[in-house]
Amino acid sequence: MSLKEQISEMDMDSIVEMCIHQEQQAIDLYTLARDQAKDEASRQKFQELVDMETVHKVSLRNFELENYLELPPANLKVTDYLMEPTLKDNMTTQEILILAAKREDKTARMYQDLADHFAFDKELNTFFQMMADEELRHKHDLETEYENQFLQEG
Amino acid sequence: MIRERPQSFNEVPMKERLTIPRQEMPEQDAVERSGNFLEVNLGLTPEQAVIEAQRCIECKKPTCMDGCPVSIKIPDFIQLICNQDFIGAADKIKEDNSLPAICGRVCPQETQCEEVCVMGKRFEPVAIGRLERFVADYAMNHGGSDAKTIEKPEPTGQKVAIVGSGPAGLAVASDLIKEGHEVTVFEALHEFGGVLVYGIPEFRLPKVILKEEVASLEAMGVKFVKNFIVGRTMTIQELMAEEGFDAVFLGLGAGLPRFMNIPGENLNGVYSANEFLTRSNLMRGYDFPEWDTPLYRAKHAIVVGGGNTAMDAVRTAKRLGAEEASIVYRRSEEEMPARNEEIHHAKEEGVEFMNLVNPIEFISDDQGSVVAAKCLRMELGEPDDSGRRRPVPMEGSEFIMDVDMVVIAVGNGSNPLIAQTTPEIDTNKWGNIVADDDGRTSMEGVFAGGDIVSGGATVILAMGQGRKSAIAINEYLRTKVGSTS
Repeated sequence: MSLKEQISEMDMDSIVEMCIHQEQQAIDLYTLARDQAKDEASRQKFQELVDMETVHKVSLRNFELENYLELPPANLKVTDYLMEPTLKDNMTTQEILILAAKREDKTARMYQDLADHFAFDKELNTFFQMMADEELRHKHDLETEYENQFLQEG
Repeated sequence: MIRERPQSFNEVPMKERLTIPRQEMPEQDAVERSGNFLEVNLGLTPEQAVIEAQRCIECKKPTCMDGCPVSIKIPDFIQLICNQDFIGAADKIKEDNSLPAICGRVCPQETQCEEVCVMGKRFEPVAIGRLERFVADYAMNHGGSDAKTIEKPEPTGQKVAIVGSGPAGLAVASDLIKEGHEVTVFEALHEFGGVLVYGIPEFRLPKVILKEEVASLEAMGVKFVKNFIVGRTMTIQELMAEEGFDAVFLGLGAGLPRFMNIPGENLNGVYSANEFLTRSNLMRGYDFPEWDTPLYRAKHAIVVGGGNTAMDAVRTAKRLGAEEASIVYRRSEEEMPARNEEIHHAKEEGVEFMNLVNPIEFISDDQGSVVAAKCLRMELGEPDDSGRRRPVPMEGSEFIMDVDMVVIAVGNGSNPLIAQTTPEIDTNKWGNIVADDDGRTSMEGVFAGGDIVSGGATVILAMGQGRKSAIAINEYLRTKVGSTS
């Protein structure tokens, strides 16, 4: 059964739980990376990502519509053409930011796809659109940080 | 603050000073210089220097000094030039800046002292940088130097190790030797000067100038040790515990090149600016056959980036014989961080500027050498945190251009060696050493400044941080003596 078929048979609470599970997977991934990181700079960066995903997970449990009405910022596409690094224990901050931005991008696309698929169901469509927008916000923040740190060409 | 005005030697009436045009720096012809590595700017003549100095209106509140990171007494040295006391002017600068011949050449005066020069409000600012360079060169060529003019202080018996011989390290060495400490500078490379020697080309900063500045410090008593990698040859802990250094200053710079993380960056013919310029500058690759350093001479070179390093790299490629040497920059020229003078010189020398273009892949032949770059056109969006308008890729704008050499000049990061070998020293998430305003790190007796702390700035800012650290080191050593006596 495809993800879309599964979602068609789920109630809203279960869908929220599924998304929380998705966020938890990201938290687990970044926590593992943090614990394996060889230097303090990488540990700090992964901890920031853990914190970001944790906030998102908590906000899903306290789902409030007005929090999600704001449109996402423009997609900067800064990391779209960059190679995706593999997760390893000696990643640079540059690689960490690329990895995380690409992960947010993929998740945003997945939620956007679900939002488009459930266009006929206002509640589901709104929920997935808001999830996609939130992931794009994360991507925007990560790409802004990437641009500020690695694309100043000084 | 209203400062006491120095005695004026300027005989030109105040109103007339406003009518004197800013003196242009003589320079090599653009066509001629694009085929050689001799210095582009030739320096003001003594007559020009005096005329330029006479443009100074001797402000009661000299804002120019506020614009200088090391607060050179600018009005004072300019007045000495008016009196044709050029060596006195150089000595006046050296009270605050141990490397005037270098700063006179590579400081971005247009965004520092000259930007806030009051003359600049209605007319062109006084050419402070050109004057600094003139008197420093004059003193160098006429035997003026600190070693001869400064009395050696009473030795304190305390030892300071300076790691890195770039601008920050040299500034600290200069200040601490004058306090009577035993100062040793450790350099990883086989020449002294850090980024000044491996990063800045001969045509912008002749290495003989740097050698003179280092010789001047040596004459003052500073010891220089080359081919010594702190963190490998010896750790900081060993320097302090086994070699008896009472304090250490870390001025390692930001020498770790950054790449773009796009496909093809590991092809033959794709260099970091760091490697390309090091081969040409430090290893004298440009000086073939006198020096036999391998250095690819491209037909069509592109340099990715818009900073001074990118300008240095593209102008070097042109001088090495590239028929086409182009800057590929993702923003517009308005947002370029390079100095206007460097952009202007590059254009005069025939460098092509491809702005609002960003490479997304480098393509190879069957030998693994780069033969083309796939690029995207960009358009400017909203301003980013730096105020520069943010470039955004234009969908479907891909194009391919033939190239046989690529130089990536998108910035440098910190070398992780010290962080890896000295866990007592805190680093931030970018790998830069964490230090307070006076350069104190989390390890007792260890100070840091320059690009290893700030992550990449100008020569004079590095020197400014170095000078602050020198004051803090001196204070630390005084306290240390007090607590052990």
